[in-house]
Amino acid sequence: MSTSPTSVLALLLAGPLQAWGAASRFSRRTTESAPTKSGVIGLLAAAAGIARDDDAALAVLAALRFGVRIDQPGTRIRDFHKAMHPVTGKTMPLTERFYLADAVFVAAVEGDHALLERLDAALRSPVYPPFLGRRSCPPATRVDLGLHRDAVLEDVLRTVAWQASPWYRRRHHHPETGQLTVLREKQPGEDTPADTLCDQPLSYSPAQRRHALRSVVTDRVRPPRESAHHDPFDAFSEDDDL
Amino acid sequence: MFLTRFRLNTARHGSRRLLSSPQAMHAAVMSSFPGVLPTTAPAADAPRTLWRLDERARAEVILYLVSPDRPDLTHLVEQAGWPAVATPDDPGWQTRPYQPFLDRLTAGQHWAFRLTANPVHTIRRKEGEPRKLTAHLTHRHQMGWLLDEERQKRAGFRIAEKPAGRRTLPGGTTHKGHPHHGDRYELSLNDTRSLSFSKSRPGGGNRSRVTLVTATFEGRLEITDPDLLRRTLTHGIGRARAYGCGLLTLAPAPKPARQEAR
Repeated sequence: MSTSPTSVLALLLAGPLQAWGAASRFSRRTTESAPTKSGVIGLLAAAAGIARDDDAALAVLAALRFGVRIDQPGTRIRDFHKAMHPVTGKTMPLTERFYLADAVFVAAVEGDHALLERLDAALRSPVYPPFLGRRSCPPATRVDLGLHRDAVLEDVLRTVAWQASPWYRRRHHHPETGQLTVLREKQPGEDTPADTLCDQPLSYSPAQRRHALRSVVTDRVRPPRESAHHDPFDAFSEDDDL
Repeated sequence: MFLTRFRLNTARHGSRRLLSSPQAMHAAVMSSFPGVLPTTAPAADAPRTLWRLDERARAEVILYLVSPDRPDLTHLVEQAGWPAVATPDDPGWQTRPYQPFLDRLTAGQHWAFRLTANPVHTIRRKEGEPRKLTAHLTHRHQMGWLLDEERQKRAGFRIAEKPAGRRTLPGGTTHKGHPHHGDRYELSLNDTRSLSFSKSRPGGGNRSRVTLVTATFEGRLEITDPDLLRRTLTHGIGRARAYGCGLLTLAPAPKPARQEAR
């Protein structure tokens, strides 16, 4: 466990369609219900301009601790996908592709401040444009959501404002019952029951992509209130009364 | 001057009536001042009663009121509040003197602000026609209305600009070359409404319809002229001030969204 203070970079992943595959093979391309670490690290690597076969540069990013909060789960939709090759005119294999429609997530990575500062700048002028798990799924809004210095992943995912659409917040705004799911990487040395997911990226090389297993802890947090609080009475001091 | 806050009990029939018609709300607000008779014409250029409804959620509707006199909202509590829990100490609304706060405003201060306004301009559709009052309907034009240099100067403030690091558009304009106010300034437009309500005429004559477009602005401003700003805070901005428009309120500026320290 590192003792030096770490920072956290928060990302907003929202778009009409997203697809975060972790285990899909062949012609059935499934999606997890939340962004995968390999998908988000890939987005950051693309923004920073890291080449697909540069495994050494990827290892630095892959060492960041990762967590994601499900702000608006979205709907899983199935696309029966049929395509012709644009040049040869041959029919491509029929595939089934699954997407999350209208979902909103807050992802966060924790690690060295200087590295995260570089990634934050890269997200604002990316070398390769970001996409939400599949090239055909562009983000609907800016992806970077702020860099928090000397912060802990869990705290950031607990405090960043709830990013769901206004209609969703109106419908699910019960402060007692409504809770958001947080899927985060285990802290080193932590002893909590965890799931495993095969999305720890080792190589994005087109010849052979490789992923390792990763421990994922599930937490529940209250939806943080919006920061758009405006009360003119806050500007008064105690002795303003008559 | 006084600043007053009153929370409406939206479950009550009386609230529905007030919320559905700015004219009914205006009448209820004006009835809060025992010294103001319907026949008293206000002195020219005197501070006037301004009000605004802030609706953050369906059951969180707050009426803000800035007025020269201390209001008595007992009738609002009875119709649209929680009369059974009202006590002499907490009658159901809060009023505080505004002047000490106004006196503290100095040039160069930064404040968060909120304003519901009626952004309009006049147009002439063809040559020789009298100019006609028309609402700004798009976000770009509504923001442009508030960002107008002259208007800001007259009001005594300047909308703060975002630091370069927080802007999304490197060129400063959209791909069609239009300026993007929301990217350049600390300004957002959170609520635009088209209101249409009937206005009863004195004597019970024909009812005419009033249509109104309102826009709620939020953001950060810097004070350029405290005297002009004090005037803006007590006299209001723009038109339709009887119908809940023009009241600007200030609150302590929150930390910028991109917070680096904790």
